[in-house]
Amino acid sequence: MELLELEEVHAGYGPTQVLHGVSMKMAEGEIISLLGANGAGKTTTLRAICGGVRWDGAIKLSGRSLHRMSTEDIVRSGLAHVPEGRGILTDLTVEENLRLGEHLRRDRDQVRKDYVRVFEYFPVLRERRRLSASTLSGGEQQMLALARALLMRPRLMLLDEPSLGLAPLVVRAIFEIIRDINRADGVGVLLVEQNARLALELSTHSYVLEVGRVAVAGLSSELKGNDSVRRSYLGY
Amino acid sequence: MQEFLQQVVSGIASGGIFASLALALVLIYNAMGLVNFAQGEMAMFATFVAYALIENGMSYWIALPLALVLAFAGGVLIQRVVIRPVERAPVLTLVIVTLGLATLINGLAGFVFGYIPRSFPSPFSVQTVSVLGALISFRDLGVIAVSALVLVLIYLLLQRTTLGLAMRAAAHNPDASRLLGVRVSWMLALGWGLASAVGALSGIMVAPILLLEPNMMQTIIIYAFAAAVLGGIESPLGAVVGGLIVGITVNLAGAYLVGGDLQLAVAFLIIVAVLVIKPNGLFGRPSVRRV
Ligand SMILES: Nc1ncnc2c1ncn2[C@@H]1O[C@H](COP(=O)(O)OP(=O)(O)OP(=O)(O)O)[C@@H](O)[C@H]1O
Ligand SMILES: [Mg+2]
Repeated sequence: MELLELEEVHAGYGPTQVLHGVSMKMAEGEIISLLGANGAGKTTTLRAICGGVRWDGAIKLSGRSLHRMSTEDIVRSGLAHVPEGRGILTDLTVEENLRLGEHLRRDRDQVRKDYVRVFEYFPVLRERRRLSASTLSGGEQQMLALARALLMRPRLMLLDEPSLGLAPLVVRAIFEIIRDINRADGVGVLLVEQNARLALELSTHSYVLEVGRVAVAGLSSELKGNDSVRRSYLGY
Repeated sequence: MQEFLQQVVSGIASGGIFASLALALVLIYNAMGLVNFAQGEMAMFATFVAYALIENGMSYWIALPLALVLAFAGGVLIQRVVIRPVERAPVLTLVIVTLGLATLINGLAGFVFGYIPRSFPSPFSVQTVSVLGALISFRDLGVIAVSALVLVLIYLLLQRTTLGLAMRAAAHNPDASRLLGVRVSWMLALGWGLASAVGALSGIMVAPILLLEPNMMQTIIIYAFAAAVLGGIESPLGAVVGGLIVGITVNLAGAYLVGGDLQLAVAFLIIVAVLVIKPNGLFGRPSVRRV
């Protein structure tokens, strides 16, 4: 069964239609990248999946329709969304942010192990754990968001531009960690990225959005090798 | 000096009462971005409920927690039924709704319980004990002990439990909290319940001193506003510290400076002074925003 399936999804904000029939699917444990120019509707697609905007069509998580489900319930059924802007709770400490990531889990032993792993990936979070999350730098907040998503132990992670504003070296490291999380836990990752080159390397399949429609879809390796696709849609 | 000490201790007792109601205001301010103008009336009504329970033969120490539980349920109910439907409405609408709620509860209390002031029982005797030569009443000590206990319990709930963490998260950042699976709407309702209960405590503590009638809380709410504003309207700790400062200040001013008639004016003076000199209060964050 597909992990995630979108069929003819239309969505928008009030009277403005942004998505004009987006269809895509991803298998269990796969990494998919969602590419496209600014304003193409990538963020809106992720918002539709987690119930953040009104939509028509069909969206299914592991075969189960997400229609009319609240964001809370969608998240509880195994989805983690690191949104544009990272969604850090800046009134709380780093530790409290992480705690909220795993607060619904019952497998406490595994949670403890996951904390160890999270702090191995991001030692800076351990050092800063008692500090207010608002004191973290942009890159550190991105790490916190990813760490928190990992602690949620989702089946599917939606990552909205995890490389935004990060130094190239840090981006590399973060992408390695995403790959690692995907391999170790079998988490499906839907990755929205401006950095198409890196995203194509990391993912198995890719979708390219153009003004709310899927313009190109296929194996990432093939898109990477296709010069005309690269030039017209991916800009490198 | 002993007289001064006595005034300070009764100031702390009043402060505990103001702090409870101020904390109620802060909890709801955090959940809704707005002061709940019905907080005092909700507390008064809960006090009448406690009165009715005691009148019907229930012991004080059972009636008190039961009234707080009922106040909690009432607060949750008000949030679900009255506030939630207008949650996203403009601020002015919410102001009108809470003012309307205040009027409604006040009238309802008058209708059900009447306007004759009643004396409310206190479990603490008015006798005094001598501490360092100062005569401190058991009633003041009892009010201080009960307020302190409840405030500590609320602190532990908010700071040390997962539920409290989720409540704080939902109040400060609802969208990000939803993405972590927090049931935001219910957390806000629990915030209302908690506020209602802690406000009820202030009513039950003050009733033996003031006599119980539907307008009982109308001066107390001014002191509580002063305390909440002084503490920085978003800070629970600030509400408690602000309550104590207001309680002690007002008591000392009443005894040594202006007399009892002008005590309320002192509270207004504090509100105005804070708004002019330090608008974010003692513990408030630098920028004011609507949550
Ligand atoms: N909250 C909103 N209200 C109204 N319109 C919005 C809102 N958010 C986005 N839009 C509009 O929807 C369109 C798609 O936006 P979206 O954020 O999905 O694009 P994106 O592909 O994520 O772009 P970017 O790469 O810049 O993040 C844009 O035209 C944008 O103006
Ligand atoms: Mg975007």
